[in-house]
Amino acid sequence: MADAVQLEKYKTLADDVASPDLLSLQPGRVTGLVGHPGFGLTRLGLVMLASREQLGPVAYLDVRGWLSPPAAWESGISPERLVVVRCDDPVRWARVAAHLLEGVGAVYAEVPARIKPAQLHKLVALARNRKTPLILRPVQGDLPNGMAHLKLEARQVLWEGTEQGHGRLGERRLIFEASGKAMRGMTRLVEVKDDGTNALRLVSGLAVALSGRATG
Amino acid sequence: MPPAEPCQAVDDKNLVVAVNKMATEAGVQVGMRRREAEAVCPIVVTIEHDPGAEMARFERVAVAVETLIPRIEVMSPGLILAPVTGAIRYFGGEAPLVDRVAKEIDVVAGPGFRIGLAAGPFAARRAAELATDGDPIYVVADDDAFRAALDVAALGSEDIASVFRWLGIGTLGELADLPRDAVVSRFGPDGLRAHQLACGEDRDTLDRVIAEDMSIEEKFDPPLENLEQVAFVARSLAHQLLESSAIGGAIPHRIEVEAEAADGAIRNRTWRSADPFNERMLGERVRWQLQAWLDTARLRSGPGIRGGLVRLRIMPADLSDDGRQLALDEDALSAAEAQRAFAQTQAIVGNDGVLQAIPQGGRDPGERSLWYRWGETPPAPERDPQAPWPGQVPAPLPALVPPDPFPLEVEWDAGIPTRVRLGSRWVEVISWAGPWRKVGRWWDGEHPSDRYQLVTSAGAFLCAVVNGKTYMAGVYD
Repeated sequence: MADAVQLEKYKTLADDVASPDLLSLQPGRVTGLVGHPGFGLTRLGLVMLASREQLGPVAYLDVRGWLSPPAAWESGISPERLVVVRCDDPVRWARVAAHLLEGVGAVYAEVPARIKPAQLHKLVALARNRKTPLILRPVQGDLPNGMAHLKLEARQVLWEGTEQGHGRLGERRLIFEASGKAMRGMTRLVEVKDDGTNALRLVSGLAVALSGRATG
Repeated sequence: MPPAEPCQAVDDKNLVVAVNKMATEAGVQVGMRRREAEAVCPIVVTIEHDPGAEMARFERVAVAVETLIPRIEVMSPGLILAPVTGAIRYFGGEAPLVDRVAKEIDVVAGPGFRIGLAAGPFAARRAAELATDGDPIYVVADDDAFRAALDVAALGSEDIASVFRWLGIGTLGELADLPRDAVVSRFGPDGLRAHQLACGEDRDTLDRVIAEDMSIEEKFDPPLENLEQVAFVARSLAHQLLESSAIGGAIPHRIEVEAEAADGAIRNRTWRSADPFNERMLGERVRWQLQAWLDTARLRSGPGIRGGLVRLRIMPADLSDDGRQLALDEDALSAAEAQRAFAQTQAIVGNDGVLQAIPQGGRDPGERSLWYRWGETPPAPERDPQAPWPGQVPAPLPALVPPDPFPLEVEWDAGIPTRVRLGSRWVEVISWAGPWRKVGRWWDGEHPSDRYQLVTSAGAFLCAVVNGKTYMAGVYD
């Protein structure tokens, strides 16, 4: 219910067309994925990683040790190109992430809870310097402000295919609040269709937050 | 280095890279920090390590050897590899050849050189290290026995050598006796390389035919004489060569540098590296060589490049044949960087922290991948992924699967899930599917389980009901 109320605060721009590059990783850009497990952020990140796997191996820095490789393969990453690094120690995590950024084509990093913002800022600077796309996914909470070039915050997930004891999970629609420099300072709702393959589809009909009236 | 007093050369990181005999006797070792070396030998004379200047002095030795043996390769200033198969036939044996080479070097550089003759660059280099000032020529009679008797320190990595010693492996012969699979499984790519060297599988000095012309060339008008300009050109050509699509993603281990002087003379030299060249390494080698040619011409100490450099051409003398097949868009340099990054990561988190997986058969999402350590050969799947696997949870699979399923509080109403507890709050089940029944190995005491897909407003989850208890088996994140 709270989600529905929140959605009413946004005005739909029916004629606005989603940029097809919005979900593709750009060299040196940082994408932040914020939200609880269950909102489809991991698969979204994996599909983003898959767009870079033809350039070399991609790395998934797994803090919880929960990543299921078949989901990555379904997302389009070939088994020989996916390297999973498990590190739950916040002290070593930053060093591990830095090494990966120095040599790997793209990095998806789950961020442990006790990482200091200064360490994250250093990693973001390193990613920019090395032109390595970086996806940051905090395990708990949010990312510090201004860190991500594109921040996608999960708002809603709608599944199709299941009934009361019948069918099976099929397609899902993910609704994110997108913000950051990539959105040119605006906050938009982005709807993505995920049919379980590596073809995430941006749905047109984005929404934008109503801007406050300017004074002065 | 002045032989009459202890002397050390340090690099730009203040690490000792070379010492003379007196400094060695005083306790100074290569690899020490400068301050540490000065503590053990306060009167040690320190000079800056300058590979360009060293190569300029070494050039006359290279020229002297090249007059006797064609196609020599320079590893570093002071170290030459020479393929001697043809020269041995020409000079009538190994002994006449090495005597002649020693005589030529003695004429141009005086005593202090060492020559090793063995099968392959690795063994020859170790043989040269075993030669002494009194007997500077070490010709290996029995290559297998010589290699087998070498200490594991000869591998050049004290880290891996110390682990081998700790495991009771003191010589390369003992290492070669171990099964390669076991060594690779424990030590990864470094172990494989060590085992190959121990078995005599070294890279040889013979040419591999490279069909296409992969050279990168640049001409200069007016001729270049300034070292700064030369350094810039060297780096630029190195970049062009490694970025060139012609080399098809392979990395050269040997590189040929060809330069044309203003007077029309053409000089060429082959450089070799134990590791594949990267841009920095390649640029340095080209710069050192050009500096050597320019300096020898200026000092009139040898046939260098007189009047400046008018043309420079570099080309791979062979291409890396190790590693894996690269994709169309992938370049070898980034592949090497990725390998290095994963190796460094492995050093931090341990071998079990850097993993890859291959598909295999199974009914649960967690069973459908087989993990193995990065750097190891992928194992054969334990279960056939193409088999039907009745009761298998259908795709899409959950992206997050806890390694050990943990209890999940689910409210059931007449067999229908109604609410799920996520953290501190209860969430209503909007829709659900299942069960997919897994019978399990009942003869091993494994209980059957029913897997359900539960859809809530907070996402979808895979849960397993075993013996009346519900467990979280995956999150469709």
